[in-house]
Amino acid sequence: MSTTTAVGRTGAESWRALRTPLLVTGLVVLGAIVILIAGTARTSGPFSPDSAKPTGAMALARLLEDHGVDVTGTDFLGDATESGAGKTLLVAPTGSLSRSDWQRISEAQWSHVVLIRPSLRALETLAPGVLDATETLPEDSRDPGCELPAAVKAGTATVGGTSYSAPDAAHACYGDGINNTLVRTEVDGRIVDVVGTSRSFTNAELALDGNAALALNLLGTHSELVWYLPQYESSGYDDDENDGPPLVPPEVRYIAWALAFAAFVVALWRGRRLGPVVPEPLPVIVHAAETTEGRARLYRRSRARDRAAAALRESALGKLHKAHGIPRRAEPAAVVSTVAARTGRDPAMLYELLYGQPPVDDAALMFLSHELDVLTLEVRHP
Amino acid sequence: MVVTGRAALLAALGVVFVAMLTPSWGGVGLVVAAVLLVCVVDLLLAGSPRRLQLSREGDTAVRLGERAVVTMLVANPSRRVKGLLRDAWPPSAGVQDPPHKIDLPNGDRRRFVTHLIPTRRGDRHAYRVTIRSIGPLGFAGRQGSHRVPWTVRALPPFNSRKHLPSRLARLRELDGRTALLVRGQGTEFDSLRDYVPGDDVRSIDWRATARRGNVVLRTWRPERDRQVAIVIDSGRMSAGRVGDAPRLDHAMDAALLLAALATRAGDRVSLLACDSEVRADVRRPAPEDVLPSFVNALANVDAELVQTDFRVVVSQVLERLGQRSLVVLLTGLDPAVIEESLLPVIGPLLRRHVVVLASVADPRLAEMELERSDLIEVYGAASAARTRLDRERVTAVLTRAGVTVVDEAPDQIAPALADTYLALKKAGRL
Repeated sequence: MSTTTAVGRTGAESWRALRTPLLVTGLVVLGAIVILIAGTARTSGPFSPDSAKPTGAMALARLLEDHGVDVTGTDFLGDATESGAGKTLLVAPTGSLSRSDWQRISEAQWSHVVLIRPSLRALETLAPGVLDATETLPEDSRDPGCELPAAVKAGTATVGGTSYSAPDAAHACYGDGINNTLVRTEVDGRIVDVVGTSRSFTNAELALDGNAALALNLLGTHSELVWYLPQYESSGYDDDENDGPPLVPPEVRYIAWALAFAAFVVALWRGRRLGPVVPEPLPVIVHAAETTEGRARLYRRSRARDRAAAALRESALGKLHKAHGIPRRAEPAAVVSTVAARTGRDPAMLYELLYGQPPVDDAALMFLSHELDVLTLEVRHP
Repeated sequence: MVVTGRAALLAALGVVFVAMLTPSWGGVGLVVAAVLLVCVVDLLLAGSPRRLQLSREGDTAVRLGERAVVTMLVANPSRRVKGLLRDAWPPSAGVQDPPHKIDLPNGDRRRFVTHLIPTRRGDRHAYRVTIRSIGPLGFAGRQGSHRVPWTVRALPPFNSRKHLPSRLARLRELDGRTALLVRGQGTEFDSLRDYVPGDDVRSIDWRATARRGNVVLRTWRPERDRQVAIVIDSGRMSAGRVGDAPRLDHAMDAALLLAALATRAGDRVSLLACDSEVRADVRRPAPEDVLPSFVNALANVDAELVQTDFRVVVSQVLERLGQRSLVVLLTGLDPAVIEESLLPVIGPLLRRHVVVLASVADPRLAEMELERSDLIEVYGAASAARTRLDRERVTAVLTRAGVTVVDEAPDQIAPALADTYLALKKAGRL
C-alpha cells in the first residue's frame, strides 16, 4: 500500500483550489469599501436634500442651487460645528442630539440657523424665549400675519404642525393668532428661525401655495447653506438623563472579546468531527399488515358497517363450518339449525345474527361483533 | 487542522489574564497571539496522517448476527504520529470499537482491529480511515483520511438450521425404510433381498425367486436425484415487514432449510431470486457447495418495490428444468396479484412440474382479528377477517389448480416447507 490511499487535498492543492474564491471575495470587499466611501457624500432619509421621495427635500435643494445657493448635505455633526460665519445652517427634524452637541453648534458662529421642528434642548440652547406651545395646528392655507419680509413676500402658505409661542421681540408668523408655526428671533447677532412645519418644504408639498417662496426666502439669505441631518449620536456621558459614572465599566468589553475568542477556540475544539459522516442507503420499511390497517381506516371513515359486518359474519361462519363439520355450501337454515342444536340458542336469533340485516349504527356493529365472538368462542370451548 | 481541549483551556486562561491584569486591546491581542502561536507550532510539529501507509486484512463474510474481525496494518515512514484513528463503516456494519488511540514512532508498524456485527444483510463497504495526529505540545494537530477499501458481506443468518436435524432424522426414516415394499410413483428399484416372514407377499419377485431357489423380495426406495427449483420472489410482495424482518428474509431462511434438506436427500437444488428481472441465480451447484453458494447469492438480494413479473419467473424456471421437478415459489399470497398475474401464466409450469407456493403469513392479522374492544378495533378485526378470507379463497383457487400452498407464520414457514417437501417425497410425488 502506498500513500495513494490518502483522500482529501494537500496544502498546495488547497491553496490552488482556494485562491480564486479568495481573490473574488477580496475584490468584492474592495468594491464594497470603494462604493461606501464614494457614497458618503450623499444623504438619505426624510428631509434629505438628496432624496426624491415625497418625504425628501431634493426639490428645495435644487431650487436653492438654481438661485445661486451652494447646498451641502451632511449627516456628520462635525460639519455643523465648524466655524459657520457668513453661512446658513439648516437642522432637519431627524435624529437626536445631546445638549452638548447643540452647545457646540451654538458656538460655531453661524450667521443664520434654521431649525425645523427642533427639540426642547435645541430651543433652550439656540432660541431662548421661544417655547413649544404643545399644541399642533392643523395643516391649512394660512396668511403670514406678521411683518417678516420673507413671509410677507411669500404670501399664503400651506403650513401646520408644531406651534410655538414667541417672545415680544420676535417675528411670529403663520399661526392661529396665539401660537405660530414660524418664529424668527435674533440672539447675539445671529438670526434663528424656528419652523414648526416639517412637511411644507418636502417634495410632496413644496409646490402648494407660497411654500417654495417661503423656503427660498428663509434659506437663501446666504450663498452657502449647510443642510445638516442629525443622527442618533452622542459624545460622552454629559446628557441630563445620563449623568454619573457609566453603568458598564469599559474593561468589560475587553473581557468580552477575550471570552469570544475563547468561545471560538472551544467551538473549533468541539466542532471538529473525526472524519466525515458515513452515508448509507437504507431499505424501505413497510409493515406487511399496513394494507389491512389502511382498509380498516377506510371502513371506519366511510362508516362501511355493512362490509365490516359481512366480513365478520363470513369469518364466524367459516369457523362454525369447521367446528361443526358443516359442508361449505350448506343452506343458511341448515347451518342455523345445526348450530342452534349444538349451542342451545334460539334459531331465530341465530339466523338474525349470522344472516340478518347490516347493523344500523356503530353500537349495533359493536354488539354484532361481540355476539359473533362469543358464538365462535362457545364453539371452540363447548 | 484540529485544536484540542488544551488550546481551549489556554484561551480560557487568557480571559482570566485579560480580566485580572490587562483589560486592554493589547491584552486581548496577546492572548490571541499566544494561542495562535502555540497552535501553529504544534501543527507544524505534528506527524503527517497522509504519509501513513495503510492496508487491511481479515474476514470478508460473516453470518448476520455474528462478529467479523477486520485488521488494519498501519505503517509510519515519517515523523511520529500520535492521536486517534477512526475506521469508519456505515452504521449497519455495526462497528463495535470506539476510535483507536494511535502512537506510532517513525518506522513502526501497528495493527488495529475493528470488530463488526452487521445489523443488516448485504455487502458493507469500509468508508474512510481518519487519523488525527496531535502535535508534541498537545494543543493542535492535523487530520487526514485514507480510503482503504474492504468489504464484509453479511450473509443470511439461516436461523432455521436448528430444524435441520429433526427433518434429517425423518428423511433417514423415509430413506431407511428400504422395506418400503409398495412401489409407487416416485419410487425406484432399490435391491433384492431374502424373504423374511411378515413381509408383504405382493413384493415377492417371482422371477428372481425362480432363479435363486429361495424366496426373494424386491424393495423400493424414494427416488433420488430429482431436481428442486427454489424461486424467491424479490418484488414488492416480499418487502413487507413481518415481525422484525422483511418477508424476503423469512423466505430466504425457508429456502436455505429446504436446500440443505433436499441436498441431503440426494436431490439437486437450484435457486432463482427474481422480480422484474433475475437478482440471484444458482444452477445445480455441487452438493457440498449448495449452502455456501446460496447464502452468497442471496446476501445482496433486497426486495425491490416493483411488481414481480411472473412471466419472467415461469420462463426462467421452464428453461432450467428438463425432467419433472419440484418448483417451490416463495412469494406473498396477495389475492389480486395471484389472480391477475400468477394464475394466467402458471399453466405450463403446472403441466410439467410439481409446484409448491410458500407464503409468510402475518401473525399481526390474527391478533387484529381477535382485538374487538372498541369500534376502531372492530373495524380492524373486520378488515383482518376480510384479508384472511381473501387469502383462504385464493389458497383454494391455487389448490384446485394443483398448487400446494404453504401459508405459515414467520417462525413456522421454514419447518412447514421442509415438512411439505418430506410429505411430497414420501408420497412419491416428486
